Amino acid sequence: MTKYKKAVTAVILSAVLFPLCAMAEYPEKQLDYTVAFGPGGGNDTMSRTVVNIMKKYDMFGGNNIRVTNRAGGSGAIGFNYVAQKVGDPYHATSTSGNFLGTPIVSDTGWTYKDFTPIALLAQDAMFLTVRSDSPFNSLEDLVNYSKTKDLKIGGTGAAGPERVVAGLFAKAADIKFTYVPSQDDGGLMTSLTSKSVDAIVANPSEVAGQVAAGNFRPLGYSERQRSTVFPDVPTFAEQGYDFEFSLPRGVVLPSGVSKEVQDWWVATLKKVVETPEWEEYLVTKGLSGNTIWGDDFGGYLEKTDKDFRGVLKEIGVIK
Amino acid sequence: MEELFSNLSFGLSVALSLNNLLFLVIGVVVGMIVGIFPGFGPAAGIAILIPMTFGLEPTTAIIMLSGIYYGAMYGGTITSILINTPGESATVASTLDGYPLAKNGRAGPALVMQAIASFIGGTIGVVLICAFTPFLANFAASFGPSEYFLIVMLGLLLLTTMMGENLLNGIISALLGFAIAIVGVDAISGAQRYTFGSPELIGGIYFVPVAIGLFGIGELLNCLYEGQHRQATEKLKITFMSKDFWPEAKDYIESKVTFFRGAIIGFIAGVLPGSGATIGSIMAYSIEKKVAKDPEKFGKGEMRGLVAPESANNAASAGAMVPLISLGIPGSGATAVLLGALLMWGLQPGPLLIVEQPDLVWGLIASMYLGNMMLVLISILAIPLFVKFLDIPYRLVVPVIIILCVIGTFALHSSIIETWMLVFTGILGFGMKRFGYSPAATVLALVLGAMAENTFLQSLIIGDGSLRIFIDRPISMFLSCILLGIIVVTIVLRVRKMLTNHGEEGSSAH
Repeated sequence: MTKYKKAVTAVILSAVLFPLCAMAEYPEKQLDYTVAFGPGGGNDTMSRTVVNIMKKYDMFGGNNIRVTNRAGGSGAIGFNYVAQKVGDPYHATSTSGNFLGTPIVSDTGWTYKDFTPIALLAQDAMFLTVRSDSPFNSLEDLVNYSKTKDLKIGGTGAAGPERVVAGLFAKAADIKFTYVPSQDDGGLMTSLTSKSVDAIVANPSEVAGQVAAGNFRPLGYSERQRSTVFPDVPTFAEQGYDFEFSLPRGVVLPSGVSKEVQDWWVATLKKVVETPEWEEYLVTKGLSGNTIWGDDFGGYLEKTDKDFRGVLKEIGVIK
Repeated sequence: MEELFSNLSFGLSVALSLNNLLFLVIGVVVGMIVGIFPGFGPAAGIAILIPMTFGLEPTTAIIMLSGIYYGAMYGGTITSILINTPGESATVASTLDGYPLAKNGRAGPALVMQAIASFIGGTIGVVLICAFTPFLANFAASFGPSEYFLIVMLGLLLLTTMMGENLLNGIISALLGFAIAIVGVDAISGAQRYTFGSPELIGGIYFVPVAIGLFGIGELLNCLYEGQHRQATEKLKITFMSKDFWPEAKDYIESKVTFFRGAIIGFIAGVLPGSGATIGSIMAYSIEKKVAKDPEKFGKGEMRGLVAPESANNAASAGAMVPLISLGIPGSGATAVLLGALLMWGLQPGPLLIVEQPDLVWGLIASMYLGNMMLVLISILAIPLFVKFLDIPYRLVVPVIIILCVIGTFALHSSIIETWMLVFTGILGFGMKRFGYSPAATVLALVLGAMAENTFLQSLIIGDGSLRIFIDRPISMFLSCILLGIIVVTIVLRVRKMLTNHGEEGSSAH
């Protein structure tokens, strides 16, 4: 009986002590990677690409990585789950537009500040696109048009990134425009093809087919640098409209993890973006591969959050 | 024409390769099974299975995923007929006559006819894809918000024919649907309406838990209230040999035009991105009822009332492939997931897809012919199995259905709030059933109401606040005339009926 008790005590003790002494050699157990959205979407695809690369090149110390979709409330549920795991380095998740957008418009109980920033791996910037049979050949044409006529720009959703890009452009060009929100991507595309609006703000991958077929003409790209996938499309900034806006596709951990863990993740993800698999992911998704690391990523999140809030405040969505 | 056949035979050579054929079979079978579970529509089925296709060739993968898509359309009706629970909005119209048919002891013939109607609808849809894709692509691309608003209004107007005998109760039911549709973010201003700060309500109330609650749980409670669980079930001995398994000659003869009418209406509605299959099935049902000489039979177990929406929603699911393939525009939740899958393989749906990837496009189209043939066979072979379900004593069936409904709802977005909505709308559905309100009108108004509001406001923004946009654009003008025509004709008929009634009353009083 005492033998049995001893054995149990030993097991319990080791279970308690093991994580403490093992911190020295991170990682040493299974990683729980949360996807805050359903399977098949953009966030899910990126997360699984990162995890598959880490598994293939054995980057997590031979430990398993389990990906779980914790969807609901536009990311509120999944991000909340990870935010609760303060100090636990065995949880990670991927950011996308809703990582910033959802806490701005609803009471989620967490914001981007409740996470440890690791890396911005790709940016989801937007195209401002017109029809090829329209008289607009540059952003300047649109600006001139808006001086005499009512310029109508379409985008998905009332308070999404598309509206922010349209708003920042109008502010930089000092023009007025009417924003026409569509409820989904399909409706957005047909609002342009049916000549209901003059231009739309959309994800490059959504319009790439129409661009390739010569039906749509993208006039501006909302990142600081030109897209690595569409190098012919000029940025807003280089045409004299000084702003940039893109949604962060990156990786974060719960807050309160040690500096060592953060550094470990930065070093590991730097290896991930060097792989051919990552290159292939960027090209097929039409994403730009400009990266930002560690606390600089935190600064980027802060700035993007500020832009987002600023435009939403201006249009009266938030107070 | 010759080109069409050479393209098709090329497509068949792709689709008939052993590998593609195998995954087509997997796709349609999985699709059918997914469709049978309440709540698991094609969109969920495709999304769940996408990771399985990572190792496959794009053509093989897209053939399998499309198989899930239209396979789910076959399976989705089975629960509409057997337990009055539509798995998605496109099969709501099928409950109206499908469930009464099953209650009248004609579950076998109803299931056979729905399989045949689905097959005819699906096949006609594929034929029309082959013949008219380039033309239809331009047609779909010319539809802006104002045109969509008018189409949705047409759908809403036709909704009144589905409301049963008590028009006032029907309208109240529809208004309830509109009220539920208000919850969520206002699509124009971004302001939140009735969300109470809850992130789960920002996206609005999704119609699937409401539909499963109102129909599934509501029907269940009603049957318990009527004491069905205490009754002994009669053993239905249905095999392929038995007389009451196959539809009667009368069923085929009466429905022979219905099959084609439903298919063509459904296909056209499907080509237009938006709520294609839903509006298509409503239109097919109400037009069928309008042209029938005996409209009073509808809603009580009329075969044509099942055939029309079934043929239509399957043709619509084929039609929705047109804007997807040729424009890269998804017409429904399921095709949006398919679009995501295409992008994932680095394929860019758009006008050039058919030029750059002929083996994919024609292989897919040819596989849809084969898939529809397989599905009609599988459906009919599996019917004795489904009908067996009706043999199980009701007191044993109840818990199983409840579990299925709860799992199906929770699996949608892993949302406990939506699961509570299921419970609440279940009780509501029971009340509606007892007091003669129309759950179908509520669910369809919920789906169409949100679309109507968004497209109306978009149109007004585009038209600078003036209603002239609905007559300035040529297609809008045409649709406005149709709408106006229907309203005027309805009013004239009503007034005339009232006058003759009045006249009769007047003469009898003297």
